Amino acid sequence: MKNPATQSRRSRIPYVSPRIQGPAVLAFAAIIATGGAIFWKLVDGEFQRVFLRAAIRGHYAFDSAYDIVRDLLAWHLAGLFAGVFLAGSVLVLLLVAATRHGIGKAVDSLRASADGDLSTPIGAGSIGEFDRFGKKIDAARSETLTSVLEIRGEAAALSAGGISPEEFRLRWDDLKLRIREIAP
Amino acid sequence: MSDPGAAGNGPLIHRRYVFGLLLRLCVNFAVGVGILLVILYFALSRPLPGDYAEVFHALRNLSPYLRPILAVSVLAYALLAAGSTSALCIFILHKVAGPLYRMEQVLDQYRSGAFTPTVSFRSGDQIQPLAQAFNLWIGSLRRDRQRWLATMMDAERLCLQDEATCRAEMEEALRKVAGDMERYH
Repeated sequence: MKNPATQSRRSRIPYVSPRIQGPAVLAFAAIIATGGAIFWKLVDGEFQRVFLRAAIRGHYAFDSAYDIVRDLLAWHLAGLFAGVFLAGSVLVLLLVAATRHGIGKAVDSLRASADGDLSTPIGAGSIGEFDRFGKKIDAARSETLTSVLEIRGEAAALSAGGISPEEFRLRWDDLKLRIREIAP
Repeated sequence: MSDPGAAGNGPLIHRRYVFGLLLRLCVNFAVGVGILLVILYFALSRPLPGDYAEVFHALRNLSPYLRPILAVSVLAYALLAAGSTSALCIFILHKVAGPLYRMEQVLDQYRSGAFTPTVSFRSGDQIQPLAQAFNLWIGSLRRDRQRWLATMMDAERLCLQDEATCRAEMEEALRKVAGDMERYH
């Protein structure tokens, strides 16, 4: 049986995250549009030349215009498919490489954080969404480090002595509260 | 639901996912080109008139007649291919975008001071090691927090004795906690 709390949390995750999927969709659309434009330009020029030549030749051994341009059209369509697919594949590989680099840096940084390194920046690169995500992780690590350093300073100050018992007790209790707030 | 611990050692993006995406793109573009071929076939396959002069004129006038047809069919191809590729991108890249979105939510939750649950992505989602690394960090922080609190509570237990011993134990506990925190930098 599914946990309703988990289900309701998941249902809030949208299928479209414009900051991530948007640029990829635009890049694919640009590849398709460019491929289409090149195909149109080439085929239009070829059609003008081929039909004029066929008309002048005067030996009409064909039933339709399609018979004249069948091979030419097949080659251009194959070229369109190959060009668009190759460019699309390169884009997919670039996207995968960027994700591996950006998220890989974030994973390394979180693993280092578990060993106590909360200050070394992620350096996820300059790719928009991964850079923003890296900065978010850096901010969380930095806030945690600030909190730990403050608690450490307060613990050192309290352990140094010279504080009245009443004040010591108050600050002791406050310190415990602040420790409880770490990673709630 | 995948096991985050097991997923943590896996690759960020599985090869199978990349090949699946490429295969779907290949089929998508092939269908687009197929549709373009069908449109152009129907536009070009009309029989030419039988008489020599008529065929000559038909062929001479075919190029200007075909230009708008070619433009419209290429436009239809571009719209269809771009539309279906966009849908494909949205649904396939969601396996990366979804976990990233979820991690952002969890990070916001963490920074706001609210309870941070253990993160686990849906099965089939990519970048699983990210959840594992985050859980590792939060787990380590929680273990440290529990140890610091336990050290302080142990010192408090000695307060049942005289006040000087209590204060000395508390100060010792604080030194221990401060020393323990030195690993954070």
